[in-house]
Amino acid sequence: MSTTRRLDPVLLLALPATLYIAIVYGLPLLFLMGRSLFGTGGLDSFVGFFADPFSWTVLANTLRSAALVTLVCLVIGYPTALVLARAGGFAQAAILVAIILPLSVGVVVKAFAWQIVLRRDGIVSQAMTGLGLWSEPQRLLFTEAGLVIGAANIFVPFMILPIYAVLKLVDPRLGEAAATLGASPIYRFLKVALPLSLPGIVTGVAFVFSMAASMYVIPSLVIGDRFQTLATLTGRSFLFMRNEQLGSTTAVVLLALTVAVVIASASLSRRLGGAQ
Amino acid sequence: MTTAFLDITGAGKRFGAATVLDGVDLSVGKAEFISLLGPSGCGKTTLLRIVAGLMPPDTGKVVLDGDEITRKPPHRRDVGVVFQNYALFPHLTVAENVAFGLKARRAPAAAIAPTVARFLDLVQMGAFADRSVRALSGGQQQRVAVARALAVGPKLLLLDEPFSALDRKLREAMQIDLRRILREVGTTAIFVTHDQDEALTMSDRIAVMHRGGIEQLGTPAEIYHRPATPFALDFVGLSSRLPGKVASEDSGIVHVDTGAGAIRAPGNFISGSAVVLGVRPERIAVGTEGENRIDATLRDVVFQGARVQLHFVAPEGGRLLVEAHEVPPGVAPGVTLPLSWKLADTLLYPATPEGYAA
Ligand SMILES: Nc1ncnc2c1ncn2[C@@H]1O[C@H](COP(=O)(O)OP(=O)(O)OP(=O)(O)O)[C@@H](O)[C@H]1O
Ligand SMILES: [Mg+2]
Repeated sequence: MSTTRRLDPVLLLALPATLYIAIVYGLPLLFLMGRSLFGTGGLDSFVGFFADPFSWTVLANTLRSAALVTLVCLVIGYPTALVLARAGGFAQAAILVAIILPLSVGVVVKAFAWQIVLRRDGIVSQAMTGLGLWSEPQRLLFTEAGLVIGAANIFVPFMILPIYAVLKLVDPRLGEAAATLGASPIYRFLKVALPLSLPGIVTGVAFVFSMAASMYVIPSLVIGDRFQTLATLTGRSFLFMRNEQLGSTTAVVLLALTVAVVIASASLSRRLGGAQ
Repeated sequence: MTTAFLDITGAGKRFGAATVLDGVDLSVGKAEFISLLGPSGCGKTTLLRIVAGLMPPDTGKVVLDGDEITRKPPHRRDVGVVFQNYALFPHLTVAENVAFGLKARRAPAAAIAPTVARFLDLVQMGAFADRSVRALSGGQQQRVAVARALAVGPKLLLLDEPFSALDRKLREAMQIDLRRILREVGTTAIFVTHDQDEALTMSDRIAVMHRGGIEQLGTPAEIYHRPATPFALDFVGLSSRLPGKVASEDSGIVHVDTGAGAIRAPGNFISGSAVVLGVRPERIAVGTEGENRIDATLRDVVFQGARVQLHFVAPEGGRLLVEAHEVPPGVAPGVTLPLSWKLADTLLYPATPEGYAA
């Protein structure tokens, strides 16, 4: 029995990743935070930011659009993950390819495709008026609805894959056991599959929300300047307004927001799902 | 059987080209404990899943308590299952696992806690109620699985090799416990196993399964002492086998020529037919007391604690197995000894190649 506390050599395997993240991500982030907190304005820049009503609009835009994108991804992604986990062999491979392959098409290419779908005489508008759901053709392009549809399209794999990975590990006999105990399919889903897949949901929500809250390219392409989020405002501050103080302030607010959502969803799931 | 509580008729199932169940008929009485005993792959689990509603049969029907349930979904059948890997809900505590079925059936909230407590006590797991099921040993998980299945008061309980992951001592204790519990609750049960000792110990009746069909259905004593087929003879208990040919038949007694001598056995066979003779090991003795006698050469002595097994070979492919309390003095492998047994203990089967392959 050895009493010396030596470092587990396996931990050394994490060294490249740690160095990489520290240099490429950690240092610049520290620099940014330092500037926002101790820069020319210091804490005053935060006070100023929150005193400005426009900031609250930007904050609301960010939260609302990210939440909607996350919701759409969850509603579309969860059933897909369920089907994917139950499918066998070829069907599973085909669905996986269908989910992953679109990731290789760039956002810019997709954004141009959406223009065809979302404009006033686009497919969606024609279908809705054709079905009588809309009284006259409407433009989805350059609206927040268009943004949510487009962003969800891009982020949905990041919701499906973690949920699928967790569901695949759930013993199918648990559902059968629940059935033989008298549980209806809906009860089985709510009390067995859903709680057991919560870790996957949390991961998916954290992925999609943080990506949707910080997306820059998609809103710029789909809506433009009229719709500002924390991310687009940060980008504009640095790139066009040369206001680095504002940029680092909004960046830190965005970071705090995302971290808070991730932590909150993790603790929520732990409370809902018992000791996972 | 007119009083059958569970009636399976003509249950058939194919997977692609393979016939897994070949028109199985089985009737089970109320509060009866039936074992399905058979080698791996003979269709035991498939039959159980059909009864539970987890898999539809291709042909046949299942009637439970006067109700045809062949097409009913599992949650409306009142058939409980204890799975081989227990399938406890990992996100719930022991008590929550047992309460699951009661809640799913919308039992009155006030009745749930006492019922859960009663069934946990029944399986001696009351002290573990608030534990996570992941912190339990295999035997403890097994008990929780039984309590969970019984708590909803199923009409029928199906158990698929529930003890196969337990060590021998625990297994034997659980066998006795399970019988006690089922008697207390009065539940009808079908128990799958490929362990003949387990089936013989626990069952009211045993169904010996082979290649998707039931070869013999009977009490443990019937199965053991009067195996209906060479397969049942071989699979349930060790036995001796002697190939031979019927020389003559006279009012229910058959004279058989074996390479090692003439043997008489009860049975009806036409002269000249090829047969296999079987004898249970504890029915053979070294000596010349019984009506049937044969000389055989001792090949191996296997010490088994309370007993010894003496493996003999006879001319022309006969294998004889004798169980004794001790090795007779002066006996060692290589010696040839007289063996004998009673006419009534001689089992006789037609010599089908299949019987031999089994
Ligand atoms: N879903 C399935 N698809 C194809 N073949 C199957 C399927 N389920 C079972 N089988 C086949 O059916 C046969 C019987 O299977 P079953 O599980 O009923 O056997 P068993 O008697 O329970 O065996 P064991 O003692 O090993 O559990 C096996 O040959 C098996 O390979
Ligand atoms: Mg099986």
